[in-house]
Amino acid sequence: MKKKLLSILLLSTMTLAAVTACGNSEAPESTQLEESSEPAPAADKAEDAGDEKTQEEAAPTSDSAEKEVTITLGIWPEDTLTDDIAVHEGYVETMKELHPGVTVVPAYYKYSTDTFMPMVESGNCPTIFESWFTEPQKLINAGAIADITDELAARGWLDAMNPSIRELLSDENGRVYGIPRDGYALGLMLNMELFEEAGLVDDEGYPIVPKTWDELAETAKKIKDATGSAGLCLLAKDAAGGWHFSNIAWAFGATLCTENADGTFTADLNSPEAVKAMEFVKSLKWDYDVLTADPLSEDWGTGFTQLGTGGAAMYIGANDAVAQPTQVNGLPVDKLAMCAIPAADGGQFSLYGGTPYMFSKDATPEEINAALDYLEIMGKAPVATEASIAGMKADAENKVANGVPVIQRFPCWVNQDVLDAEAAIVEEYGNVDPKLYETYFAAASSEGLHLEEPGSTQDMYAELTKVLQTVLTDKDSDVQALMDQADANYQKILDDTFGAAN
Amino acid sequence: MDFTISRHKDIDTSPKTAMRSKSRFRRKDVFGWLLILPSLILFTFYIWEPLLENIRLSFCSAKLYTVTGFAGLDNYKAVIGDVDFMAAFRNTFSYTFWSLVIGFLVPIIMAVLISETVHGKSLFRVGVYFPNIMPTLATIWVWSYFFMPGDTGVLNILLGKLGIAPSQWLNNAHFTIPLIIITMTWKSAGSTALIYMANISGISPDLYEAATIDGASIWQRVAHITVPSIFSIARTMLILQVISVFQIMYEPMIFKNGGPGNASISLMMLMYRYLTRDYNVPKAAALSVLVSIFLVVLSIVYMSLTRDKEDKR
Repeated sequence: MKKKLLSILLLSTMTLAAVTACGNSEAPESTQLEESSEPAPAADKAEDAGDEKTQEEAAPTSDSAEKEVTITLGIWPEDTLTDDIAVHEGYVETMKELHPGVTVVPAYYKYSTDTFMPMVESGNCPTIFESWFTEPQKLINAGAIADITDELAARGWLDAMNPSIRELLSDENGRVYGIPRDGYALGLMLNMELFEEAGLVDDEGYPIVPKTWDELAETAKKIKDATGSAGLCLLAKDAAGGWHFSNIAWAFGATLCTENADGTFTADLNSPEAVKAMEFVKSLKWDYDVLTADPLSEDWGTGFTQLGTGGAAMYIGANDAVAQPTQVNGLPVDKLAMCAIPAADGGQFSLYGGTPYMFSKDATPEEINAALDYLEIMGKAPVATEASIAGMKADAENKVANGVPVIQRFPCWVNQDVLDAEAAIVEEYGNVDPKLYETYFAAASSEGLHLEEPGSTQDMYAELTKVLQTVLTDKDSDVQALMDQADANYQKILDDTFGAAN
Repeated sequence: MDFTISRHKDIDTSPKTAMRSKSRFRRKDVFGWLLILPSLILFTFYIWEPLLENIRLSFCSAKLYTVTGFAGLDNYKAVIGDVDFMAAFRNTFSYTFWSLVIGFLVPIIMAVLISETVHGKSLFRVGVYFPNIMPTLATIWVWSYFFMPGDTGVLNILLGKLGIAPSQWLNNAHFTIPLIIITMTWKSAGSTALIYMANISGISPDLYEAATIDGASIWQRVAHITVPSIFSIARTMLILQVISVFQIMYEPMIFKNGGPGNASISLMMLMYRYLTRDYNVPKAAALSVLVSIFLVVLSIVYMSLTRDKEDKR
């Protein structure tokens, strides 16, 4: 009897809890639906609305200084980077002068997929934060970030954005959800110390860089034989492995996914070209043996550690990450070089994209504008004002002080005055020999620039990574069969997501 | 029935009505309820409510945690049709199988041996428990250095000294799961052994003395006294082990991120991927509901089977 009573009480408490929980979640549910359905109307209508607001909001933008606004900066540097914090404190001073109504709260946040969602749900997302190149579409679909199209339009920044990068940060209706911190194009980073040790330098001391993947394998072999360090650090721990592999596959002539006219997608992971590229990767392990001890433990970050600490001589990296091998992992600034991603039968390609700044879905237009003002002061906006140039200079000085190469940015904004200002900064503060980066920047402004493949790209990377893991650990693996399986899996995901092609 | 209703009323009504024949009993009841009230509230909000919410989410479509509509069984279909589901499903059974083969008997043997030890019992007891105080992550990192392939892995260096070619260890897809289970056994066998030891120490010494007087050997003592005495606890430990290993996640995730290929991905790891990689909460909820249904059914079947067996004994 007692048991019965207990269960009745427990049950009613649980029901009560469930009911109240439902009640709680339903209230924000409806408001959120309204919010997220608001920007949904057809793109042209939204654009019109944006244009209308352009005039209306032009005043409030400059006015925003008058209003009291508090913004939390997820882009604040972490505690250990004291120099970077000092630079940001300088920005805050400028912010106080130019926008006295804005209160800036440092709230360092390093984006990570396991903390982001609870943070957003609990309403603690910083007004502005940085995310990864892979995330924008996922975050847009999840309704986790703010639509900033109107704010950007009011400032005239929309058209200044590199169109391809803008596309990466937009939804299917053309609404924009972020702005690029940096554009990037993949290249090959080289540890000059290992190249010198292996004698792979010309008369003037510049590294003899591999121009094709076959040359890369030979170069890597020489380095491994001469120094004992790995020639190349190849990633196979997570999706970054597939991401790098897609760039290798293009060189061999592969196209990994095609968008059809009806909005469906066709996977092509098992084409002879893609298989050849995978066979090549396999040979790096089993024929040349030039990889690090365990590629399955290497991810984006450990790759830079291997390169920076002399564990590997070459690594696929981009210009926006030059602080990783140098400042973070201790490679002297003049010992880092970059060259173009090697070519093969299919040509030379460099994958490019943008690292985004994004905004909390709970941020008001005033807060978003204040955050954009802050970016302007940081020199990360498409404006060449006095304040933004001062911001760029402070950033460059800090890089020089911390042994980070001051090199050109990959143009994420297209307006000439900003490009000129950036070029002038590199001219003034340049701390590395531009010849060490010559072929990289030549490739980054060539026709070989290649956007990520379309259609559930992360799933494609995941499938490719599984194949990479198998071919790098099993000498007898059947590459064709593995790629067939990966292709079938990826096609299934594409069909489930976008519908099957007729 | 009447009695139930009247008692139920009493609970709901004010203490004034509780002045009849069983008043003392009821007052004691109220005090009891007050005592468990904090736990009850905490359980409700931190365990039962999230559990129910999880079940609700698994039948809905949602953006992050915000429900956008009813989805019926769509999430369940999506989970079962997922390209990685079968691999994760198979592997999870493989983990459970190997954990029983490798991990189930080790603590029992440890406990029996230590119980039979005369000198240095405490030292051994601390010794076997020691790995258990290491945080899981630290354990995994340490073992990662041991298992590293190539010439720099600790085990490969040791093999090298013996003139044996380096092994791939975890990178050999056939060995990934058994090796992970070995590391888990290394870590947790000690704490399980303590439970067995406590159980063994509860066995009346008279039994052993009588057996010794009757001339029973150490093996006979173990076989006829110790093992039957710990049968009941072993039965519980086995199902607890199955339940815990079935939910394995950290080890495969950190050792090899589910690889090589899909050789070590587990169901819970797949769930974690839905949640953090895809931000697909309903799909993650559906998979976790499937796992719990499976474990509940398994536990019921197992308990009813072994109960019969125990009754017959």
